[in-house]
Amino acid sequence: MRHHPLSAAGRHLLDRREFLQWGGTGLGGVALAALLGHDRLLTAAPPIRPVIDPAAPFAARPPHFPAKARNVLLVFCSGALSHVDTFDHKPELVRRHDTPLPIPDGGKLVTFQGEQGNLVKPLWEFRPRGESGTMTSDLLPCLGALADEMCFIHSMTARSNTHGPAENQMATGFTLDGFPSAGAWVSYALGSECSDLPAFVAIPDPRGGPQVGPRQWQSAFLPAVFQGTAFNADRPIANLARPAGISPTADRASREFIARLNDDELRRHPGDGDLAARIAAYELAARMQLAAPRIADLSGETVATLDSYGARDAANPLKARFARNCILARRLIEQGVRFVQLFNGAYAMGEGVGNWDGHKTLAKQYAVHGPILDQPLAGLLSDLKQRGLLAETLVVFVTEFGRMPTFQKGASGRDHNPAGFTVWLAGAGVRRAFHHGATDEFGYKAVTDVATIPDLHATILHLLGIDHTRLTFYHNGIERRLTDVHGHVIAPILA
Amino acid sequence: MRRATAVAAMTWAALAGPGFAAGDGPFRDRVAPLLATRCGGCHGPATAEGGFRIDIRERAVAGGDSGAAGIVPGQPSASTLFARITTADREALMPAEGEPLSAEERTLVEDWIAAGAPWPDDLRTLPPALLPASGDDPRHKRARGHWAFQPVVRPAVPAGDGSPGNPIDSFVAARLAAAGLQPSPEADPRTLIRRVTFDLVGLPPSPEEIEAFESACRRDGGSASAYRALVDRLLASPRHGERWARHWLDVVRFAESNGFETNSARPNAWPYRDWVIAALNDDMPYDRFVRAQIAGDVWGADAATGFLVGGPWDQVKSPDPVLTATQRADELHDIVGTTASAFLGLTVGCARCHDHKFDPVSQVDYHRIKAVFAGVQHGERPLRDAAADAEREQRIAALELQVAAQAARLAEFRAAAAGALTAAGLRLPVGPQGNVDTFPAVVARWVRFTVRATTGNSEPCLDELEVFATDGTNVARAGRPTASSTLAGYDIHKLVHVNDGRYGNERSWISAEPGGGWVQIELAAPVPIERVVWSRDRSPQPRFSDRLAIRYEIAVSDDGATWRMVASDAGRMPHGPAADFAALAPEQRAEAEALAARHAATSTELEKLAAGPRGYVGTFVEPGPTHRLFRGDPMAPREEVPPGGLSQLGGSWELAGDAPEQARRQRLAEWIAASDNPLTARVIVNRLWHHHFGTGIVDTPSDLGVNGGVPSHPELLDWLAAELVSSGWRLKHVHRLIVTSRAYRQASDPRPDALAVDALDRLLWRHPPRRLEAEAIRDAILAVSGSLDTRMGGPGFDLFEPNGNYVKVYVTKEAFGADEFRRMVYQSKPRAELDAFFGAFDCPDASQVQPRRTASTTPLQALNMLNGAFLLDQAERFASRVEREVGVDPDRQVARAFLLALGRPPTPTEAGLATALVREHGLALVCRSLYNANEFITVR
Repeated sequence: MRHHPLSAAGRHLLDRREFLQWGGTGLGGVALAALLGHDRLLTAAPPIRPVIDPAAPFAARPPHFPAKARNVLLVFCSGALSHVDTFDHKPELVRRHDTPLPIPDGGKLVTFQGEQGNLVKPLWEFRPRGESGTMTSDLLPCLGALADEMCFIHSMTARSNTHGPAENQMATGFTLDGFPSAGAWVSYALGSECSDLPAFVAIPDPRGGPQVGPRQWQSAFLPAVFQGTAFNADRPIANLARPAGISPTADRASREFIARLNDDELRRHPGDGDLAARIAAYELAARMQLAAPRIADLSGETVATLDSYGARDAANPLKARFARNCILARRLIEQGVRFVQLFNGAYAMGEGVGNWDGHKTLAKQYAVHGPILDQPLAGLLSDLKQRGLLAETLVVFVTEFGRMPTFQKGASGRDHNPAGFTVWLAGAGVRRAFHHGATDEFGYKAVTDVATIPDLHATILHLLGIDHTRLTFYHNGIERRLTDVHGHVIAPILA
Repeated sequence: MRRATAVAAMTWAALAGPGFAAGDGPFRDRVAPLLATRCGGCHGPATAEGGFRIDIRERAVAGGDSGAAGIVPGQPSASTLFARITTADREALMPAEGEPLSAEERTLVEDWIAAGAPWPDDLRTLPPALLPASGDDPRHKRARGHWAFQPVVRPAVPAGDGSPGNPIDSFVAARLAAAGLQPSPEADPRTLIRRVTFDLVGLPPSPEEIEAFESACRRDGGSASAYRALVDRLLASPRHGERWARHWLDVVRFAESNGFETNSARPNAWPYRDWVIAALNDDMPYDRFVRAQIAGDVWGADAATGFLVGGPWDQVKSPDPVLTATQRADELHDIVGTTASAFLGLTVGCARCHDHKFDPVSQVDYHRIKAVFAGVQHGERPLRDAAADAEREQRIAALELQVAAQAARLAEFRAAAAGALTAAGLRLPVGPQGNVDTFPAVVARWVRFTVRATTGNSEPCLDELEVFATDGTNVARAGRPTASSTLAGYDIHKLVHVNDGRYGNERSWISAEPGGGWVQIELAAPVPIERVVWSRDRSPQPRFSDRLAIRYEIAVSDDGATWRMVASDAGRMPHGPAADFAALAPEQRAEAEALAARHAATSTELEKLAAGPRGYVGTFVEPGPTHRLFRGDPMAPREEVPPGGLSQLGGSWELAGDAPEQARRQRLAEWIAASDNPLTARVIVNRLWHHHFGTGIVDTPSDLGVNGGVPSHPELLDWLAAELVSSGWRLKHVHRLIVTSRAYRQASDPRPDALAVDALDRLLWRHPPRRLEAEAIRDAILAVSGSLDTRMGGPGFDLFEPNGNYVKVYVTKEAFGADEFRRMVYQSKPRAELDAFFGAFDCPDASQVQPRRTASTTPLQALNMLNGAFLLDQAERFASRVEREVGVDPDRQVARAFLLALGRPPTPTEAGLATALVREHGLALVCRSLYNANEFITVR
């Protein structure tokens, strides 16, 4: 018993079948209530609501159809990474350098921060990379070298030109606050393959959180159990460790006593699903206390691995810390954590200082941010591939929107541009060295195969074996979806 | 006309090709209904989007504003109509709303056009019945018959097995009997008092309250009268309003920060929260409660309109016109949507872009409501309150008297000080608000003021330099100023300000030399002068005392070349704090300085009081016209829409397009709060039921529309609604009815027979057990540890570390003091940010309305409750309290701790285990464990 201080109850008292039959008032209640009341939508394909066992909310659940990807690694670059300086090669932009961007109506071009100056060629040279000869810039050479693995969407568009709403949209599908993040939807739908870690982990950048903070990994109106749990290689899960003031013996004694109280209560109230769920939650918490520090402990990684990520780069401590987050991401994927969201860049330090928001002095800012991102993320991608994890993991590289091909009037940086930007995917289920869609000759507006964020979300869900139109949760009068009423799977990019 | 028709008819007949030539049946039966229903909504008589009409043959053929032909008979590929229903460009694909046409439907249109697009004359204008005219959507026609939109008619109470006097039980018993179920027996007194206390006031009952209730039940041989007294006590408690205000604040997405990117705090949003608490405590009639929140400025309840602007507001503005229009549209959308969902239980927000898919709310109706709110702006407004204002006026009058008396007495001290100075051959120290230098009369053309030293060695600032001739004229005004230097780059600090006759920092001169510089005036003509007056900030409400010249010389000249000093700082008392009274005797000086401090404090208080209280309750401006927005796109305005109600739901009233702002909201408020509005009363009684039983009679409390839940007890809902209205809209009356019902008082134990029939307990064969909400958990932790601070109202406490970043960074506090031990409803609640501890308990973040919370169970909850600093600190306080109350004997400590936390004594086994724990590890560890027991956060 001593080894399982919290395991006394659930196992011998709770019969799963009986429990499901008895329902419950919490999660089970939500799921069951949803089954009963609201199936009167006149659609051909009715919603598929996952049936969630409150005592095991993270248990793996079947997809709607066979999945191509088992896990998702979502990499988010905070501040809006310039596509014209990285992955969207525009020869015409070089040729027309320092001339005005032609505007159809001859009007003045006013974007987020105001008036625009002339077109400005990429601040880093583009070169062909890989066997495919994909053109990417010298800002991110290590990632460029992996271009053959990548499946680019050059025609992505966002609905907002403001960081907060645009971050919201990339994370939740909605520009407004208060909607569940993609990771929460996926955990709700599929649970996890890992029994001692949460299904959804967010890894904040060593410099701090993204602009909208925890809204990036919130569960909103989905049950809180599906929210992302935030920790990184520097900062463990909040309240994970045993408090300093309580000895291991005392802690164990206290937990045994709690388990005993809960056991007794379950005996008095047999079949109480919420209580069983609570007992299970305390058990998972105990397992997390063991598993999470083990996962975050990189001391078992070989020097070769550490170096391939740049995790020992003493000259660039920020890069080394981001590299450690990248290694943590791999370790979580390895453990079967369903959805890992890795952040690069933070807002806490202000515009462009700790993130990709290069309004005023883009060259100077990106020269700092490029090396922090490049080798560590390339190391992660290579490592996933080498370990065979890329075959079942979908990597998605996104940012909130693109940047203008022009400089802002009177500045040496680029303003926000939601009309066209590049995201890329790699790994399970997507084509390699593939380019989908395009912006115009300057990289200003998406013009070919225009894609939207709901399209991207629909595609991610599709690769996980989920029909995005049928994964729903009833909230406040509406069957909510990650993709709202939008979204089409971007079929051409599927392998 | 006649001829044109004939030609057209001929053309159509001639072109009619094979397949369709056999008759116009296919068009009549299939093509026309298809085009009318799928295209007619936007391309009909009401709204000819893009200038295109599908319902008039000639217009359909001619096409819309693009100029391209709509239909080219015989050539589908040249017909815009066909191109737009088949294009791969999703932005251009029609229909703009709803699913694309099916392959069969496309083929039908293609074949029809290919066959020459035969369109018979008698259908030249498609019959309106075919068209889904706005507001007459066939779905809407059906939906108008929906139960919730019918008038409330008080149903007869079912005969039979009701407990006397409470019709609720008759309704519940009737449904149970129909399902072959029996209700459960009454819960035991301990369970009952814990349940109803948490339910009505959100706190655990104290051991003493439990004991008193138990013994009253024993004495009475039953719980009836003791329970009635208990309910009365709880409903009268000020804690009741705090508890139920939290429920309401969820429904109206109230928070005290802006949300969006910056999420800055709204330090004056709390008056609305206090207003809600007071209204519920006072049992304000619900119709008044509703009216005040929409138009409280009409009825003297300013704080109530905090409802309107309780939602998010994007303060990041941009020159981009699209963003600006979108932001405004989103603000109004929030107000429209929240109003409809909170009071009417309708999801009107769906009609922003298109007619509601389920409920009879057209897109025009949405914009009618939007026009009602078109003048509402986010921001603060003075809070007028007749009673408080009168009190405030009195207080102001009293303070004014006080300030005047203080000033008079200070003047006496000043005079005495000045006298003492003169006697000692000294002058007052320099001050920012004006300094006088007098000298024997001298004829001069130039006067120069040279600074030798300043406070903080800053560049000196003079707002005015006056030179008085012997006849008392300020001759500097007509003179010409020059200076050694002027601080560059500030419009408010210019040389010309130094003799412009205007005082204050905004009209001042600053030299560019730290601690030095000079300014001089060339007078219009040489005159005899005898006095110079100069100052730093002589405005009526001076704010600046920096940049003060403390050493200076004043010199005169006839020729601008040779100078003669006439005055300086020599003989002044040294500049320093409270130097005003330095020349007085020590005792007098102390008295004068204390008086000066009181005077300053009283003046500040007076100023604040005179400015009046303000709240983040919105401001109102007269709005311009409101337009329907095509597909909700703020850049696609269509016809003007006047303010009005939901026309298909009894709100066909309409005001003029230029109706005064306030009148719009007043009209809407009166319509919603009218006793014959079928939704308002049903929605609120259902909300009360929802919180008492965990599930409403309709399980979708903010959606009683067609897509909402099916009522479990429709007649009961109507009976409660009728009862509410006839009681004068008293919520406490309904609370009392519900919690004294047998349905509410029954035990919560599960019964296999009943579970088999009604697993979700919708028929209420038992009282459903529930987990406490985040706020109640925190409040209960504090109450049990004896730390709860029951101070009501005012600015909230913060669970996050202070932080003044442009984009506020929310870092959960780890250490708490007494300030944070008030009830959680008084937390200054940021939007979209949950503190790390209680956020894990499904606390809504007020980004969206939250009429119904989830209650999930997560490992993070366990970690927080086991290891969180707040919990551990509270466990220590809990232990200290127990020790204070019962001393050091472990048996008594354990017994007391169980009673406090769980409302019951420990079983012998529990007592044995717990006392052993106390002996080995201390009482606080047992307290930590009790807080973590499932029983602590569960109400049965």
